[in-house]
Amino acid sequence: MLRRSRDYETVGAMPLKILLVDKDTNRAEALSGKLTASGFAEVQRVPGGDGITKALETAKPDLIIVDMALPDRDVLEDIRAMSAAHPVVMFAGGDDPSFAEEAIAAGVCSYNLSGVALEDLKPIMASAVALFQRYRRVEVELAATKALLEERRLIERAKAILMRGRKMTEPEAYRFLQKKAMNENRKLREIAAEFVRHHEEQQA
Amino acid sequence: MTTKLRIGLLRLTDGAPVITAHEFGFFAEESIETELVVEPSWANIADKLAYGFIDAAVMLPPLALAAELGLRGKRQPLIIPYIVSANGNTITLTTSLVEEVKGLAARQNISTVAALAACLRARQTTLGVVHTYSTHNLLLRYFLATAGAEAERDVRLAVIPPASAVEALISGQIAGFCAGAPWAEVARRAKVGAAIATSCDIWKSAPEKAFAVSAHWANEHDAALAGAIRAMLRAAKFCDDPKNASYVAALLSRRRYLDVDAHVILANLPGGSAGGAKCGFFSGAVTFPWRSQGMWFLKETRRWGLMDKDSDARELVTRVYRPDLYRAALAPLGEPVPIGDWKREGAHDQEWSLEAAPAAIAMPPDSFCDGAIFDPSEVWGGTEAAKMGALHK
Repeated sequence: MLRRSRDYETVGAMPLKILLVDKDTNRAEALSGKLTASGFAEVQRVPGGDGITKALETAKPDLIIVDMALPDRDVLEDIRAMSAAHPVVMFAGGDDPSFAEEAIAAGVCSYNLSGVALEDLKPIMASAVALFQRYRRVEVELAATKALLEERRLIERAKAILMRGRKMTEPEAYRFLQKKAMNENRKLREIAAEFVRHHEEQQA
Repeated sequence: MTTKLRIGLLRLTDGAPVITAHEFGFFAEESIETELVVEPSWANIADKLAYGFIDAAVMLPPLALAAELGLRGKRQPLIIPYIVSANGNTITLTTSLVEEVKGLAARQNISTVAALAACLRARQTTLGVVHTYSTHNLLLRYFLATAGAEAERDVRLAVIPPASAVEALISGQIAGFCAGAPWAEVARRAKVGAAIATSCDIWKSAPEKAFAVSAHWANEHDAALAGAIRAMLRAAKFCDDPKNASYVAALLSRRRYLDVDAHVILANLPGGSAGGAKCGFFSGAVTFPWRSQGMWFLKETRRWGLMDKDSDARELVTRVYRPDLYRAALAPLGEPVPIGDWKREGAHDQEWSLEAAPAAIAMPPDSFCDGAIFDPSEVWGGTEAAKMGALHK
């Protein structure tokens, strides 16, 4: 079901007023730049917290785009008193659940305050979803890199202990750990971590 | 074969039985592989349930009813086969307002709530609640109404995420808030606020969080759902024992759960220092999904115009609250379970004994602050009530 407002015909000509609630300033800047450049949006940014209520009153947005990692969504759902229209969660349109799922997975959500037609909001939300996905990917990659570095550090440390304590060469120490992991059907990382922990406990 | 179950929850003390059941492997022993998803907002919980990102949640009962009706976002059929907690909410005010209220109550020899209402009327005040469809909003409104104070007319109620409430108290955005544990204790320790009342001062043994499950998931996995109920009950008994409180507090304080100091959490666990704001997890049939309690939430939500009166109240509550599933899950354990699905709420200001099988259950007082007794049959009319069979008196 699409919600059409009286001024639906004018939407193409008039920029939509968007309130962007995002604590990641880089991402917010990138998105507002992208939307402003497209010419159909006038974007105001707020990082969340107690600035939201004031920003809502002054900006009187048609659309709110909000980072789902913030607790402020519950505040935004209580804005009936401030806005003439009942705020509609983007997904409540219900005509395209897969789009809504994609947005949730990316961690972004929107509220339609002025009853602008859903098809007019979709390109805007698509931009937001794409940007949030990109940032999320970077986060995931960063976490993976950190985990890899930690694994290397543990293995190096375990090898050093073996080389010193049991007079092994470096390849011998590595093969020792690898064999133990294979025999016990566990990850090399776990074996190394356990080995280092045991050693540190004995030292203490 | 194991069944996957993804459970959403917020950073709140009352999630203890679910966190404990997960960490202790109680779910795993019932062949359920649980994933706990900690969310920053109730809106996320409702949306993730609606779009299948989670299968169940530790949820505010009024929000579960609102989600079921599609009042906020996509409609999601939900059922409540188990109640996770009782009590645990606190009305916190700025320290200066607490002194003012208590001073007025002492000088004029009036009740705390009457003094509070007078202070709120005297000036423009905003109080925070955690969500529109929250037990906190309904309890606070009920409490104030007993002294003739009404939201919008005498006091402004704003939604404030509990984790932001301390900051909002300091900045003067709000003069107080009603929220679940541990947030009142956080405010108290930061010396910016103090408690003026707890949920026990409003409704003794008030039901708090429900275990809400997607109706679709529940239909597909009836055996796993029964197992989940048994796992949570086992954990609830552990969490309800004051002897285990420090252990539970340490578990909850972990970064991936509450990320709050264990001593702060301890205050609101059984045996803790938080007086009437302590959470209850088991004793007194806390875990039983009373349809009469669902009806009370529905009645109060309608009273304040937060839900229209089109829907058939009894049909809705009967569809959502599922004591039948609770009984079926626990019968094999020989666990005492209440015989009726409905009771008169608020009828006992003393300890009492509840008719249950195979043995009666010792119950704590359940009275309301104004002495009201809620007979659920009032909502659907006297003649209909007769069809429901006997109510617990």
